[in-house]
Amino acid sequence: MLRFKSLTWRVVFLHIVAVAVVAIFLPLVLFWLLTSEVNHLHRDAMRDQAGVLGERLAVKPDGSLTLNLPDSLKDLYSEAYGRYQYEILDQSGRVLFSSHKNGEPIVRPDGSPPGAIAGASVSKDVGGQTVRIQVAEDLAHRDVIIDDIIANFFRRVGWITIPVLLILLATDIIIFRRAIASLVRASEEAKSIGPARTDVRLPTQKIPSEILPLVTAVNQALDRLEDGFRVQRQFTADAAHQLRTPLAILQTRIETLGDRAGARELQADIESMSRIVRQLLEIAELDTVVLDPSETADLRAVCAEVVGSIAPYALAGHKDIALRGTNDPVCIRGNAEMLQRAIFNLAENAIKYTARETSVDVEVNDDGSVRVRDCGPGIPASEHGLIFQRFWRGDRRRTDGAGLGLSIVREVVEDHSATVAVENLPSGGAQFTLRFQLAGEMPADKRQN
Amino acid sequence: MRLLIVEDNIELARLVAAGLLTAGYETDVVGTVGEARDAVRSVKYAAMILDLNLPDGDGLSLLVELRRRMDPLPVLVLTARDGLQDRVTGLRNGADDYLAKPFAVVELVARLEAILRRPGQLLGSSLNLANLVYDTESRQIFIDGIPRVFSARETSVLEILLRRQGRVVPKKNVEDHIFGLTGEVASNAVEVYVSRLRKQLGEYGARILIHTIRGVGYLMAEEK
Repeated sequence: MLRFKSLTWRVVFLHIVAVAVVAIFLPLVLFWLLTSEVNHLHRDAMRDQAGVLGERLAVKPDGSLTLNLPDSLKDLYSEAYGRYQYEILDQSGRVLFSSHKNGEPIVRPDGSPPGAIAGASVSKDVGGQTVRIQVAEDLAHRDVIIDDIIANFFRRVGWITIPVLLILLATDIIIFRRAIASLVRASEEAKSIGPARTDVRLPTQKIPSEILPLVTAVNQALDRLEDGFRVQRQFTADAAHQLRTPLAILQTRIETLGDRAGARELQADIESMSRIVRQLLEIAELDTVVLDPSETADLRAVCAEVVGSIAPYALAGHKDIALRGTNDPVCIRGNAEMLQRAIFNLAENAIKYTARETSVDVEVNDDGSVRVRDCGPGIPASEHGLIFQRFWRGDRRRTDGAGLGLSIVREVVEDHSATVAVENLPSGGAQFTLRFQLAGEMPADKRQN
Repeated sequence: MRLLIVEDNIELARLVAAGLLTAGYETDVVGTVGEARDAVRSVKYAAMILDLNLPDGDGLSLLVELRRRMDPLPVLVLTARDGLQDRVTGLRNGADDYLAKPFAVVELVARLEAILRRPGQLLGSSLNLANLVYDTESRQIFIDGIPRVFSARETSVLEILLRRQGRVVPKKNVEDHIFGLTGEVASNAVEVYVSRLRKQLGEYGARILIHTIRGVGYLMAEEK
């Protein structure tokens, strides 16, 4: 059995099968009915003819029977015409009258008729004698018009069943499509549901009652999903507060120590702890915030914001940071906040690894790409595939990071259907290239459709 | 001059209050939106330090309420949430500045003073950095106590960078500040003024650096 994914095609296919079967059998049945009706008509006609013959029988005074046929009937039963024949038998089966001059019986004693004939036999009482009147018609000479009707039944009449059935098929498809139109609308609505739009629910109006339990169940599942996202978001916000407030207390308390021994180291510890907390919260947030596909952002403005916010940190470490490339807005598909986090983490990483008195470059190009270059030691080629993993750290001895920054970059890149590549520059240092989709372009997954 | 601290964590509030007292500011501390509402009604504060996550509601709602009443009370928002979106929301709702936890108290004081030195605010009209003092009313500049003369445009550049010292001021903002929003500006005009200002500051012995953040703007900081 063929399996169709589409309900419409499944119905159409089964309908075509049904129509084909009916298209074959309906004419056959009609033909059979027509034939039997024609035979019936013939038999009735024969009986009538036998009746007419019976009325022509008369009893002579001597008690014998006589048959007075008018000329018209004589012609009808003449052997020259050859179409009809009759015989009138008495009770013992003796032929009294016959259309055959030689008195040959219509039905031979062995029961086989001479050639194909059809006929009728009636009994009648004439003057106290019971006679049997048999009338037969030679099928070879039968009524041509009626025979034509039967012979041409398929060609002239039978074909009509096929268009009728096809019209029926078309009508049924229309009815079916109208019936599932509300489902199609619900499906369209369902397409727009994503983690970014968990508020959308499938419409329950006009949904057929057979399908309604499914739609309701889906809506309930969405309710639970939205609840989950809400709880997760609330958790992230609460966790941020609960983690950062003690850090703020710690930092303030250390400040009151003044320049005493160890205070500077403690400050540095708090800074790296704050960064880990920030990154963990970013990861938690990225898991719940999902991109609205229609959102756009100015990549250059995002990079300017990042460079501006990180510059004091770079300068404090006697390092420089610059924004290069185009000066015009670069409108890409994406969420400014998520982009900002990805690029911030890249820039922060670059500043960490670049040597003192060197510069980190953030370059924005109008093709929707961002390059972040440093003048550090570069990244061994063997680690290029590993650096984007969570908690990966190239140098285990370093304690100033948890290896989360680049995993955040990767996650943002994946959410944006963008790409990230890393390479070592000939001049030394690493270069990360992010490529986003310009706002005017169709996303790659839509283009294939 | 009194400041109001709205922070539900008593320990943090106490430490911030102590830090502010060292810097010369007296403070009142409240822990809920409700208490804060009552406090601003009864006392005339110079500024409010507002935590967003409070037990009886979101600090932002209090801010929205104040601004709807056209209350000009300067507000510095403290928050554990430091997403770009949060900052935009906070500032749009009328916060004067924004500081993410954890923060250094010196940073908090610097931000507060920057707010309080804005035109119409309570703090004196002078801006300081290293050995430079700038009087925003008379537009006079003192280096090591000696008055120095700068051109009007260079003074404008100095003022905007000084107000946001330690932070990057986008080049566009400097342009708007010097030339106003009207008129065509030559693309390198700001560079010219900044480089002149830098040169003069050097000549007068100011221990101040103007860093150029290429492609973004300028940052003024003390030379260390």
